[in-house]
Amino acid sequence: MIFTPLNIILFGVVGLLGVGLYGLLITRNLIKVVMVLQILIKAVILALVLAGKLSGHLGLGQSTAATVIVADTIVAVVGLALAVQVRRRFGTLDVPRISTLRG
Amino acid sequence: MELLNFTGLIIIPLVSSPVVYLAGRLGTREITLRGRSYLVRVAAFLALLAAWVPFAASVRTLFLDGTQEFNVSTIWLRVDGISLFMAGCVLLLGTLVILFSGSYMAGEVGEEKYYAMLLAMIGLMIGLVAAGDLFNLWVWFEAMAISSYLLVAFYREQSASLEAGMKYLVQSAAGSVLVLMGIAIVLAQAGTLDMAQITEAVSGSAVNRLALLGAGALFMIGFGVKVALVPLHTWLPDAHSQAPSGISAMLSGAVIEIGLIAMLRALATLTGFALSWGILLMGFGALNILYGNLLALRQTFVKRLLAYSSLSHVGYILLGLGIALSAGIELGAQGAFFHVFNHMLMKGLAFLAVGALMYGMFLQNGSHRALKIEHLAGAAQKYPLAALAFSLALLGLGGLPPLAGFMSKWQIFVAGFQTQNAWIIVLMIFMALNSVLSLGYYAPLVNLMYRREASPKVAAGKPLTWTIALPLIVMSLGVIVLGFFPGLMDWFTVAAGRQFMQMFGK
Repeated sequence: MIFTPLNIILFGVVGLLGVGLYGLLITRNLIKVVMVLQILIKAVILALVLAGKLSGHLGLGQSTAATVIVADTIVAVVGLALAVQVRRRFGTLDVPRISTLRG
Repeated sequence: MELLNFTGLIIIPLVSSPVVYLAGRLGTREITLRGRSYLVRVAAFLALLAAWVPFAASVRTLFLDGTQEFNVSTIWLRVDGISLFMAGCVLLLGTLVILFSGSYMAGEVGEEKYYAMLLAMIGLMIGLVAAGDLFNLWVWFEAMAISSYLLVAFYREQSASLEAGMKYLVQSAAGSVLVLMGIAIVLAQAGTLDMAQITEAVSGSAVNRLALLGAGALFMIGFGVKVALVPLHTWLPDAHSQAPSGISAMLSGAVIEIGLIAMLRALATLTGFALSWGILLMGFGALNILYGNLLALRQTFVKRLLAYSSLSHVGYILLGLGIALSAGIELGAQGAFFHVFNHMLMKGLAFLAVGALMYGMFLQNGSHRALKIEHLAGAAQKYPLAALAFSLALLGLGGLPPLAGFMSKWQIFVAGFQTQNAWIIVLMIFMALNSVLSLGYYAPLVNLMYRREASPKVAAGKPLTWTIALPLIVMSLGVIVLGFFPGLMDWFTVAAGRQFMQMFGK
């Protein structure tokens, strides 16, 4: 049986990581960059729950996952706040057009 | 819960952070603007001074031997030689930076937020070095990172600061995803997240060694973003050059080293790979030294030059740790920790001295410009103290003999030769040559300050205040005294080095 619940979760982790890493490479819009980081974090949350289940410490896995949700929300809020400021100063959210610091 | 032990060291800055923020939000009906700004500065400084009391108490009771455990409700802290050493570094630099910021940040919009975030960052860094659980380590690390994003982007009306903050946030967040993935693998394999228990659990035969190696690689890359290992360093020059000067000193002198400690703690839980980590650390170290030096040679902005020189100094530290791990030479780890302290002192001094010059030449004239190298011309005529402090810091960083930087580099150098390994000796010679190469960008700055006519910017500069001068004097004295008496730090670095070897089971 390949479609056991555990395997489905594992596919979910790998799939979300793949989408996230691909997105991180090609995204040019700052808001989308923050969204892509969220997708990556969701993969990790699934992975933590799965790891808890695999090791027989489901409670530990779930509590860490819940903490990650909290911590990560703050990162998203700060990221979006910075994106708002970037839009105000630069008039654009396009990543190549706000890259002025080089060398 | 007792405040007179290590927990007090974490709790005092963390609790005073919101208090300082609220003090800064008092209405203008109760207090004048000037008085409010003064209140915020004094409160922040007093809070950090108070934190020295639990530090002194915990140094005395522990006397840097073995591990002590404390708890704040269910969070366990494990305090050992490395924790105390790093806590001391962070506290010393933090106190001087807050004193320096008194005039430097006076009258900025959101001054209270600056002090609140800085205090929170200091408390979180001290918490991180004492974390006893892999997941707690990540939580401290992430919280510290969040406060540092906000501090880097503090001048939010400047587009370059925003860009630097955004870059820092995205790269650091991607790194922390990788760290969490590594934690998930360790949890699946070991069934626990307590660092001491992981070490026991993974030495059994039931674990998948390959998965653990993968977890270690994820830790190395994930924390490596914060440490600025060379291919992952691109946020560093932007963030260090765009942040307020006090924060540049904190980032360069403390935050990247704290990232390194987090990485070592996580790697130390996975036993049996010490040789691989040692070789990898040395490889990254050599890369960092060369890349940092070459890029620093072609900079036009002073703070950006110092940021690239941080890359190369992280390299020296990595080399020392790598020698200790791969060859089992404890002197290498001691030298590395000594260099952590000296780098904190010298790079902190360099950034603060640049900040002092920027304060006199630009901030006092109402401008937020970045300091270019040519602006330094003749600075010694108008700012003898800042120029002297900056020169001492630069020559120390370049490793000129009677200064602190030489002593720690020498210690690493000697440790490298003790290994009697041809490859490591080649690396040591490479390091010594690079140290000479680095004088190629440090020495012209000194020359420029002392041997040229004063530029119009310098001539139009305003005088410095005592709160800016005092940290410069203290740190300059430190650089000189440690150069003549390097043994003064032995009691601290030896304990940290021993703990490092124990951590990796050597």
